[in-house]
Amino acid sequence: MTAVSTASVVTPPLRLSRLPWGLYAAGLLGLLLAIAAIAPQLLATHDPYALDYAHALRGPSFANWFGTDESGRDLYSRIIFGARESLLIGLGAAGVGIVLSLILGSLAALAVKPAAVVVDRVVEVMFAFPALLLALLLIAIAGPSALTEIFAVGLGTAPGYARMIRGQILSAKNSGYVEAATALGHSRARIIGAHILPNALRPLVAVFALSVGQSIVWASSLSFLGLGVAPPSSEWGALLDAGRGYITQAGWLEVVPGLVIVAVALAATTIGRHLQAYLEKGEK
Amino acid sequence: MRLSRISLATVALVSALTLTACAATTASSTGAAVDGGTIVYAHQQEPACVFGGWIEQAYLSYQVLDNLVSLDANHKVVPWLATSWKSSTDGLTWTFTLKKGVKFTDGTPVDAAAVAYNFDYWLKGGNSTAAVWLGGYYQSAKAVSATTLQVNLSKPYPRLVDNLTQGYFGIQSEHALTTRTKDQNCASPIGSGAFIVKKWNRGQDIVLTRNNKYTSWPANALHTGPAHVKVIDWKFVADPTTRVAALQAGQVNAIYDVPAVQWKTLKTSGFQLDRYVTPGRPQQISFNTQLGPFTDEKLRQAFAYSLNRKQIVDTIGQGIIPSEGNGGVSQATPGYSKKAADWYSYNPSKANALLDAAGWTGRTSAGVRTKDGKPLTVILPYGAGSIINADGAAILQGVKEQASKVGFDVTLIPVPQSELFAGKYGTPQDHDISVGYWTAVTAGILYINWRPSTASNPNYSNSAYYNNPELEGYILGGNSAPTVAAQNADYEKAQNYIAQHALAIGVYDRLSTLAVSPKLKDVWQEHAQGGPTFYDAYFTK
Repeated sequence: MTAVSTASVVTPPLRLSRLPWGLYAAGLLGLLLAIAAIAPQLLATHDPYALDYAHALRGPSFANWFGTDESGRDLYSRIIFGARESLLIGLGAAGVGIVLSLILGSLAALAVKPAAVVVDRVVEVMFAFPALLLALLLIAIAGPSALTEIFAVGLGTAPGYARMIRGQILSAKNSGYVEAATALGHSRARIIGAHILPNALRPLVAVFALSVGQSIVWASSLSFLGLGVAPPSSEWGALLDAGRGYITQAGWLEVVPGLVIVAVALAATTIGRHLQAYLEKGEK
Repeated sequence: MRLSRISLATVALVSALTLTACAATTASSTGAAVDGGTIVYAHQQEPACVFGGWIEQAYLSYQVLDNLVSLDANHKVVPWLATSWKSSTDGLTWTFTLKKGVKFTDGTPVDAAAVAYNFDYWLKGGNSTAAVWLGGYYQSAKAVSATTLQVNLSKPYPRLVDNLTQGYFGIQSEHALTTRTKDQNCASPIGSGAFIVKKWNRGQDIVLTRNNKYTSWPANALHTGPAHVKVIDWKFVADPTTRVAALQAGQVNAIYDVPAVQWKTLKTSGFQLDRYVTPGRPQQISFNTQLGPFTDEKLRQAFAYSLNRKQIVDTIGQGIIPSEGNGGVSQATPGYSKKAADWYSYNPSKANALLDAAGWTGRTSAGVRTKDGKPLTVILPYGAGSIINADGAAILQGVKEQASKVGFDVTLIPVPQSELFAGKYGTPQDHDISVGYWTAVTAGILYINWRPSTASNPNYSNSAYYNNPELEGYILGGNSAPTVAAQNADYEKAQNYIAQHALAIGVYDRLSTLAVSPKLKDVWQEHAQGGPTFYDAYFTK
């Protein structure tokens, strides 16, 4: 027996010196966020829940870098402590979205025809609803909580990714190396497991990274609408929601959490896009 | 490059929003009155019907329906549809004399028969709040003549007419109630009021037009004849910041529920600001005395001692929202007990001692007290945006944090309006603390909130689930005592009893606030519930 390699992808070597500065900045932010999520006390300067009514609604200063809220709580420390919840929701939602889309996309592409058609229609029906509306529907049924938010956002993002995965699998299914494997007499299960899925799902790594940023933004949107975690959580969307009543008097309560969400979403997007470009380069 | 563009766009957008919100445009008024015009008014919450048992409905129906009586600024009951009234010597029969010639906007007469029908209609489910006010006292109403109405009670209730000043007791056309569908009467009740419901765009606004044939203004109105303005566009704008921004931008002429933090800015910019401290039950904490940790009086008292309520309220409320210690009635209520309000001052040492004495001596790593391995976790759901506004939600976060210092783990659950009104968290099994208010004009509200709940006569407003004959006795005594002094003495005993046993503790007094454009004059808050009165309002050039 001669081993026949049917793999089509070769990953190019990674040259750190050629990576753009934006990616380093995104990586640094990612590292800081990871520390904030794992050990927030290392970065925080105050107890995020400690009331200090004598210093309510104070602007940014040396004592309170990002200012204080209506109860005198330190905004910087609240943002640091909110990182864990925000990231968990973002990662969790991205995970739920990817897993769900993987199941739906694979079934739509690989199942026998009647089942595939049914799954296809289900995805199309889900597609017909705006993602945020799907998320709102789930929250209306299950009630607002961090867990519901994770599943709601995951459900909202799943149809788009399912469609992409289906396309990737169909493309791999019709490729030359699958034809070669079929000609060699490999079983259907082996072809799917060893050839189709590994090749079709490579872009998922990049998609996951992109999805994290998007999920954080969507989860923050839901929290901003009061449909996420309960107060006094310092999840970033909840901070935005709490601060909007003070936007004219204490604009930092709205601007700073907003900028943090934007920065994290941009960092995740930057990492995801570079990862995508790197993997695509390998496919050429 | 893409990153920079997005970041710049974000900063620009945030800056634009901030600057827009800051831009106050307050045109100065020349003072000359303008006939007609449209008042665009931004209100916080949209009710399901124009008429009903929620204060948000009373605010609306007050524009459309007339009551028998009105309350003036001195808390005196004055004529409206009724020109006079008297009680029999035994206090069981009330006789009202009605104005002659008043007609509903469907052309039918406002006579004693129609008013008597309204009393029965409220009790049979037409208005849940009117029903709980009259329940236990009302027996029947009948027309003695076209303009003479007789109301029969089972027990004396000397403050009956005070209660009839509330918007829940607006009089509707009997013809409309009996011939139109429930939905029609819900969306556009037919009254004899200064305005008529023209159109309800659900989710957006209700358009009210002037009743040009209006003849039945209350005695405390500022003018006679039909309203000055032709139209009220009663918009529903849930977000307080948006309401304020719309007022500042001149898009609306008046707004309801002004956030405390905006008060000073609006005042400085020349807007008229009105503040009404609502009598009745304050925004208070009621403890579940039937199930859970607060069945132990020591724990209720410990919770009360753990809070510096005045500090929290004064900071969040910026001196606009009054702090309240009394869990029975607010400081704006006649017969208020200062003693009850001062019962529990901030004393964490006392709170800790009470918790120790109650056996909650263990601690988790997070500092939460435990007893037999069970943590002292208490559930506090609240109607977010409906019963508790944004300022109130911030105050509750302060309550949670301060209580945590002595070992309580308070779980705050914001409950959306739809779920709250559907009864979620409405049983003793699903919460330990309930918060909320109940507007009233007398301390008779104690009867609604503390009447024992029995299988044959349940009381869903007894949120402490506390059934006690001694407390009930004080309240019943107050309701039927012949003089105001005797009523207040009994009501004060009831408030002190509630405080002594820490059944409920006050947090802050509910406010009804208005901000009005300088070009719009003579908008005032009616004195029974603090809702906006647009009947006398007019624009100036």
